Amino acid sequence: MKKVIVPQPKNDSLIAQLAALYKTFKDIPPKENLEFDLSGLNWFCPLLILPLSAYINVTNSKYAKNQNQSYLDTIKFPQGVDSISSFEQQVQLYKTFIPISVLKREKGSERERLESLFVGMVYKIIGGAILGAQNAIYYPLTELITNIFDHSKQNAGFVFGQFYPKKNYLDICIVDCGRGLAGAYKQEKNLIISDESAIKEVMEGNSTKPNNERGYGVRTSKKVVCEGLKGGFVLISGAAALFSSDKNEKLISLKDFYWQGVIIAYRMPKPTGSIDISKYLE
Amino acid sequence: MKSEPKITIKVAEVLATILSSRDLIENLKTAVLAADTKSVDLDFSEVEFISRSAAHALLIMKEDLRRRLFNKKEANFINANKNVENMLRMVAANRVLPKKKPDFHAERVDIKSFASLL
Repeated sequence: MKKVIVPQPKNDSLIAQLAALYKTFKDIPPKENLEFDLSGLNWFCPLLILPLSAYINVTNSKYAKNQNQSYLDTIKFPQGVDSISSFEQQVQLYKTFIPISVLKREKGSERERLESLFVGMVYKIIGGAILGAQNAIYYPLTELITNIFDHSKQNAGFVFGQFYPKKNYLDICIVDCGRGLAGAYKQEKNLIISDESAIKEVMEGNSTKPNNERGYGVRTSKKVVCEGLKGGFVLISGAAALFSSDKNEKLISLKDFYWQGVIIAYRMPKPTGSIDISKYLE
Repeated sequence: MKSEPKITIKVAEVLATILSSRDLIENLKTAVLAADTKSVDLDFSEVEFISRSAAHALLIMKEDLRRRLFNKKEANFINANKNVENMLRMVAANRVLPKKKPDFHAERVDIKSFASLL
């Protein structure tokens, strides 16, 4: 089994986290069985820890225990929780730590209730009593999570969030190991395009579905996060990534890297003033 | 003429307090179709929020139920809070008159040059 050393991000920016994720999975063929060495990590971020969790779950890979194992146990790394009772049990024990949550298609309404608990907890941690904050927090989360079951053709999705009280922001990550964006355009529209072009199609609102009324979710969610909340947004699929903030936007080619599926991560600063998301929703 | 009794379905009990998933709206449709009456009230009183996708699926469900040849149903949305109302209205308006989707212009870079900015 190949060993992979997971590098510590150089700093706490989303770009540094993306770079660490890239280094972790660079030159790794899709779905290879791996053993991850987390000993170099002295703190964890959702953009790194959740794709690792999803990858370990899907490929039955392994990981070597870390000196901060108690934190990993607190968030239920790598297996996550997949039921309301186990989510509630974790939250009872660890209060403000949100466990890695695994949403399973076959659980139907229970999946929706688990997602409600996850989303509700994110709001409880970061939302406060700010006017409009609930909508600003709920909108991107619900929209991006439902895409897993609408588009990935996978039966499980992974979600995780971590609040950093000293920095006053919350990082969220949503992961699937499905067909990816380019795969969806190929299968649904017979459109053969690169991963970068597939991200462009998504951001222009060209849905993989025939219905012209669809295709707003990702772009408007990104606008709520970047323009409404002044946060940052990362979307990865295959060998391409998008990085967005309220100041700039880059479409990044990830040479010798391939994520089978979609990873979305974003940073939400704790809202300090009222927010009206309606202007970002189109 | 005797009016037909109405049946009320509590949406949060069938689904959840936050409606996110497009695919699970089908569960609600099944519950409406199983009701032994033509007019069904969908009670959103315990629903905090609905996603744009769920709102779209709900509106399509409402139309489909009305257009059926057999077992036609009228689904009425009741007791929705402001968030839910606004989302349904926005999606309904966009169905009638869609807004133009913008072009996307991002600078293309490779990861090495991008990460070297750190």
